[in-house]
Amino acid sequence: MPETFLSELQTAVGKQNVATAATDTEVYAYDASLARGSPGIVVFPADTGEVAAVVRAARRAQVPFVPRGFGTNLSGGSISAPDGLVICLSRLNRILAINPKRRTALVQPGVTNLELQNALAKEGFFYAPDPASQKVATLGGNVGENSGGPRCVKYGVTKNHVLGLQCVLEDGDILQTGGETFDFAGLDLTAVLIGSEGTLGIVTEAIVKILPLPESLVTLLAVYDDVSHAASSVAQITGGGIQPSALEMMDAPVMRAVEESYPCGYPLDAAAVLIIEVEGPLAGLRTQADRIKEICRLNGCRSIDEARDAEQRDQLWAGRRGAFGAVARLAPNYLVADCTVPRTELPRALAQVADIAGEHGLEHGNVFHAGDGNLHPLLFFDSRDTDQLARVKQAGWKIMEACAALGGTITGEHGVGLEKLEAMRMVFSEEDLAVQRAVRNAFAGKGLLNPGKVIPEPANGPAQASAAKPEIEPTEGTGFAPMDAIEACQAVSWAHSQGKSLFPCCSGSSVTSLQQTDQVLQLSSTNLSGIVDYDPPNQVITVQAGLKLESLQKTLGQHCQWLPLRPGRFSSSSLGGLVASNDGGPERLRYGSLRDLVLGMSWIDAHGSQLRAGGRVLKNVAGYDLTRLMVGSAGSLGFITQVTLKVTALPEATRSVNAEGSLETIAAASSRLLISRLEPTLVVAIQMSSSTDLWRLTVGAEGFTETVDVQMDGIKELLEQSGLQPGEVCEYPYLTGPDLSPGNSCPDRSRGLRADVPLDRLADLAARVRRELELTDIELDFGCGRLLAGLDHLTQEQSQSLESLVRSHEGCMRLVEALPGSPASFARSETDEATAKALMRRIKQALDSDRLFAPEVPFGLASTHDEVPA
Amino acid sequence: MTLTELYDEIARCNRCGFCQVACPIFRSTGHEAGVARGRVALLRALIEKRIDWSNDLEEPLFACLLCGSCTANCFPKVATADLIIAARQEYLDTVGRSGAHRLLFTRLLPYPERLRLAAKTVALSQKSRLPKLARALGLLRIFGRDFPRSLDILDDFPLRAFRERFEPGILPGYGHGLSIAYFVGCGQDIMVPDSAERSLDLLRGQAETVRILPNVCCGLPARAYGDLRAARDLARQNLEILFRYEFDVVVSDCSSCASCLKKYPELFEPGDPGHSMATYLAERTRDILQLFPEAERLEDLPDARRTATYHDPCHASRGQGLVKEPRKLLKSLPGLEYRELPEADWCCGGPGSYALGHYDLSRSVLERKIANIEKTGAEVVYTSCPACLIQLRYGLKLFSLPVQAEHIAQAIPAAASAAPAAQSLY
Repeated sequence: MPETFLSELQTAVGKQNVATAATDTEVYAYDASLARGSPGIVVFPADTGEVAAVVRAARRAQVPFVPRGFGTNLSGGSISAPDGLVICLSRLNRILAINPKRRTALVQPGVTNLELQNALAKEGFFYAPDPASQKVATLGGNVGENSGGPRCVKYGVTKNHVLGLQCVLEDGDILQTGGETFDFAGLDLTAVLIGSEGTLGIVTEAIVKILPLPESLVTLLAVYDDVSHAASSVAQITGGGIQPSALEMMDAPVMRAVEESYPCGYPLDAAAVLIIEVEGPLAGLRTQADRIKEICRLNGCRSIDEARDAEQRDQLWAGRRGAFGAVARLAPNYLVADCTVPRTELPRALAQVADIAGEHGLEHGNVFHAGDGNLHPLLFFDSRDTDQLARVKQAGWKIMEACAALGGTITGEHGVGLEKLEAMRMVFSEEDLAVQRAVRNAFAGKGLLNPGKVIPEPANGPAQASAAKPEIEPTEGTGFAPMDAIEACQAVSWAHSQGKSLFPCCSGSSVTSLQQTDQVLQLSSTNLSGIVDYDPPNQVITVQAGLKLESLQKTLGQHCQWLPLRPGRFSSSSLGGLVASNDGGPERLRYGSLRDLVLGMSWIDAHGSQLRAGGRVLKNVAGYDLTRLMVGSAGSLGFITQVTLKVTALPEATRSVNAEGSLETIAAASSRLLISRLEPTLVVAIQMSSSTDLWRLTVGAEGFTETVDVQMDGIKELLEQSGLQPGEVCEYPYLTGPDLSPGNSCPDRSRGLRADVPLDRLADLAARVRRELELTDIELDFGCGRLLAGLDHLTQEQSQSLESLVRSHEGCMRLVEALPGSPASFARSETDEATAKALMRRIKQALDSDRLFAPEVPFGLASTHDEVPA
Repeated sequence: MTLTELYDEIARCNRCGFCQVACPIFRSTGHEAGVARGRVALLRALIEKRIDWSNDLEEPLFACLLCGSCTANCFPKVATADLIIAARQEYLDTVGRSGAHRLLFTRLLPYPERLRLAAKTVALSQKSRLPKLARALGLLRIFGRDFPRSLDILDDFPLRAFRERFEPGILPGYGHGLSIAYFVGCGQDIMVPDSAERSLDLLRGQAETVRILPNVCCGLPARAYGDLRAARDLARQNLEILFRYEFDVVVSDCSSCASCLKKYPELFEPGDPGHSMATYLAERTRDILQLFPEAERLEDLPDARRTATYHDPCHASRGQGLVKEPRKLLKSLPGLEYRELPEADWCCGGPGSYALGHYDLSRSVLERKIANIEKTGAEVVYTSCPACLIQLRYGLKLFSLPVQAEHIAQAIPAAASAAPAAQSLY
C-alpha cells in the first residue's frame, strides 16, 4: 500500500473518518455470513463526491475496495479482499425526497429499509421489497443483492421497484441510470446494477417506486402436523388466482427458538406453520381469506386462524423476522441456503434438504418465503468445530445441486457473494459466465471493485480461441429464417466470417428501421414459433421468440391464464419483437412491463454461442441480470431465441368507466386516483378533438368480481368529486383492453412519439406538445407517465424541439417509425447522460465488438462518427 | 469472570446485526465498533488472539452506554452490557486505569462528606469565575479529555446537600405498617436535593417510619467502569451500614441505585458472607416507582393542568423491568395529560460518568432524545433517575426547549403523600 494512499484518503473524507487500527479492521472483517476477510483500512465518506474521491485514490494505489452498508450480507458479499479498503456508506443516511404524486422517493444507500417504510407510512405509502432484515439492512444493500422479502410474492423484488440509480464506477466516474420515469432510454443499466453485489458500481442514490398503502389486510396462521402438507398447500394457494401478499413457512425447530426468545404466538407442538396475508381493497379480502382457509384445510392443516388485531399480527411478524437471530439459541452458527425451486416442487425439495442434513449429521430448520419457492434451510453448527464446519459446507453444496436439479436456482435473494461462487456452474455454462465477465469488464473494471465475487474465474485458465463453427448460407433476398437455435448459431457464424451484419425480425417486421441489404441481412424468428415448456401450476411458460403474442394468449387461455400485456398497435408482434422493444400498454400500472414479466432468456451472441440468463423463477439473483439487459435492447446485443415468462390467472372481471373533460380536470382526477387506495389497473386519457380541450378519461380495474365492483364504485365517486360525470361501468375483453379509439391505435400514421415523464409532469407536457407542435391523436397514460402521439411529418427542427421539451419535463422520448406495410419499429432511444452512454457503448463493444447485430440501432451504441442522423 | 470463561456466551452472537436497531451510539456514529455486534466481535478476537489488549480498545469498551438496548433486541439475548463490564475489568487490569478514576472510586465515593465538599467547591467556583480559569489552565483535564466541557452539564450545583438539610436518622411517617430505609444516592444527595425532599415526603406518606441512611455511593459508577474491586468495597461498606438497622424495605428514588442494589449479590463469590447479606438486601430493595399511591386516593387533588411525558431510565426499564408503573401513575394523575415519548426507553446519553469521557457521543445521543421530547409537545418530562434528570435538563437548555425536567416523585402533589402505597411490598 503506497504511503500516499492513507493521506489521500484522509484528505478526501477527513482524518477522523479513516480507521486503520486493528480494533477497526477486526470489526469490518465480517458480515452476517460465515465468511471472513482482513481489510486494511475502513473509510466513512459523507457524500457521493467523497465516495468518488476515495475510489479514485484506491484505483491509483491499486488497492481493492468494497462498499458496505451495515454488514448484514448473508453470502460474504461485504467481505474485503486482503488489505483491501472498506467503503462504509453509513453516513449517506438521508431520505432525500418523497413524492407521492410521482410515486417515487429518492434515498441514500445508508438508509435502512424500515426507516424508509416508516417515513413513507406517514404519507400513506410503502416500498414493496421488505426483507426480513429490514430493521437493519440498508437500501444500498437491498439494491446490491436485489433483495426480496415476504411481500415480494405479490409485488416483486427490488428490481421491480427501483427506477434509477446514481453510482460511482470503478474509475471514479459518476453514473446516473434511469430517472423518475417508469421507462427510460437505452439499455437497462439499472437492472444490471441491481443484484450486482457491489461489483459493478457503488450506489450513492436510488430512485425507488412507492405505492399507496393497501386499504386492508388479513393475516392467517395455518398450523400443520406434517411439513409436506404445508408445502403442498403453497402451490395451490398461488395457483388459484389469489395473490397473497405474504406466504411464509416456519418449521418446529425455528418456532421453538423464536418462542424461547419472545413469545410471539407460535405453536410449540406443530410441525410447521404458514403465515399467509392478503391485502388490498377491503371488498373481496374476506372471500380470498376464506378460499385460502379452504385450501389449507383440504391439505390437512390442523387449524387456521386469523390474527385478532394489529398487535397479534405484529408479534407474529416480529417472530418471523427475528428467526435467523433466534436460532442462535439452538446453536451458535448457521449456514443458510437460499435456493429457489418451482412452488410445486416444494415438498420434494424440503424432503431432500432433510435427507441431506441427516446424511451429514446436522440439525436443521426451515424459515422461508414459501410463496415464491425460495427456501432458507438453516443448518445449525458451532463454527469453532472445524469438522462441523466442513460438513456444513458440503451439505450446503448438495442442497444447491438438488434445487438446481428441480428446475430452480442456487440463490433467490442472498446473493452469490463468496459463498456460492463455484456453485454458479450449476446453473451457467462457461460461455454464459464469459459473457457476464465481459459485461463486468465493460463497467470500467480493472478488478479492483469487490473482486472475487459473483463470477468464478474461468475454468481452464484464460478463454480459449473458439473453434471454427459450422455455417449456413442465407437465402437470396430474405436473409435467414432458421428452423432452430442451432441454425441460428450457424447463421451468426456465417455473418461473422463474412464480416456482415444481421438484424432481427419476424414475419417481415422488425423493431429496427433497417432494411435488408448486401451488408445487413434479416435474421428472422418466423420458424422459431413453438412453445418449449408450459408449467401452468407454477405460472411460467417458455416460448420461442418467433411465437406471436396472440397465439401465446390463446394457449394460455386454455388454462385460464394470460400474459398481462396489451401492446396496442403492436399486438401482432412476436414475443421476441416485444421483448426487444419492451412495448406495452397502460395495464403496466398493475402488472408491470415486460422487464418485470421476463424471468429468463436464451439468445445467440456475436460469436454464435447459445447463451442463457435468468431462469424459471422470479426469485433469482444468480449472476448479472443479462435478461433485463436484453429486454428493450432492440436486437443490438444478440438474437433472442427463447423467452421464459411469468404468466398469471385470468382476471375474473375487467371493467372500466369513462368521463370527459378538460385536460386540467382529467389530470387532477388521475392524480387523485393514483394517490388513493382504489388500485386502478389503468388510467388513460384520449384526446377527443384536436381543436378543443376535450379529453376522455378511461379508468379500468381488473381482478375478482367482488373487489372490482366496489373499486368501480369508488372510482366513479372520485371522478364525480373531481368535477367529472362518469358514464356507465362496462366490461372489456381482457386480451385487448378497453376501446381507446380514436387514440393511438390507428395504423395510418407513419410516425409515432412515445415520451415517458414523471407522473406529475404528463399533463403539462401534453398541453405544450399540443400547443407548440400541433400533434394529434394524443394518448396519455397517467398511470405510467407516458404520452403517445401520432404524427405525419417531423422536421429536424421539430424533432429537436420535441426532445428538449421532453427533457425539460424530466423525461425521455422515443420516435417510432412505421415503415410502409409494416406495423412497427423504432428509430431512436437515446439517453443524454454521457457516462451512461459511454457505458452502453462499452457493453455493446464487449458483447458485439464487430457490430454484427443491428449495427445501425442508434442507442448511442454506435461510435460518434457513425451516429445516425434523425 | 474472565473473558475466556465467557467464550460460550460470546460465541452465541451469530452476527445478525439486530443490535444495530436501537443502539444510540451506533445510530450516532454508524461505526461497527460502536454497537454490540462489533464489541462482541472484539471480545471474541481477544479470546481467539487475533488482537491484543491495547489502548485502541478503550473507545469500543468504554464508549458503550451499557443501556442494554442491544440485548433487548437480541433474539438469543447475548448479555452485551455484562460482557463489556467484564472486559473493562480485564482492560483495567491489563492495560491500566486512569489515575483520576482511581481517585474518584477510592478516595471520593466512599466518603459522602468529601463528595459534598468537592461538590461545594465546584458550586462555589461556578458562581465565581473559577471554572473558566481552571479550564484555561488545563487543570480539569486530569479527569479526562472531555471533562471541561461536561462540567457545563452541572450548571446549578446546589450549595447544601440533601443529607445536610436532613440529617441521617429516623423520621416518623404519616402512614402505617412499613418501616422504610431510604437509600440516598449521590445524585439525589448532592445534585438534585429538592427532588430528594419530595421523595422523602412521599415515602413518609407510605410508611410508619423512614430512616434516612448514612449510606455511601451504591458503587454503580465503579461497577460500570469495570472496577469491580472498588464496586465490591463500596457494596461491602453499604451492607455494613445497612445491617446496623432494622427495616422492611430499602427504597431508592434513583433507578440506577435501585438497580445496582438489586444486583449486589453478583459482586460477591457465593462463599463470601457479603453474598448472603447482599441477597437479603436485594430481596428487600425497591425503586420508588414501585411505591406510588393508589389511583383512587388521588382523585380529590387540586388540578394543575400540565401535559407531561416520561423518559424511561435504562436502569428502570431494562434494569428492573419497571415500565408500566410510572405510566400508570402519570395517567392516573388528574390535571395531567400524559403523552407517550417516542423511543421513550432509548438511553439519554448521560449515565453517570459517561459524559465525562465521551462528551460528543453523549451529546449526540442526547440530541435525539431532546428531539423526541419536542415531538410530544409536553411541558414537562418526568423520569426516575437523577443522572437522566441532569442530562435532560442540560439538553433542554442546550437546545432551548422550554420544557421542564423533573423527578417523577414531583408529579405527585404534596397532599397525596398521605396516601398509602399502591402495591404490597412483601
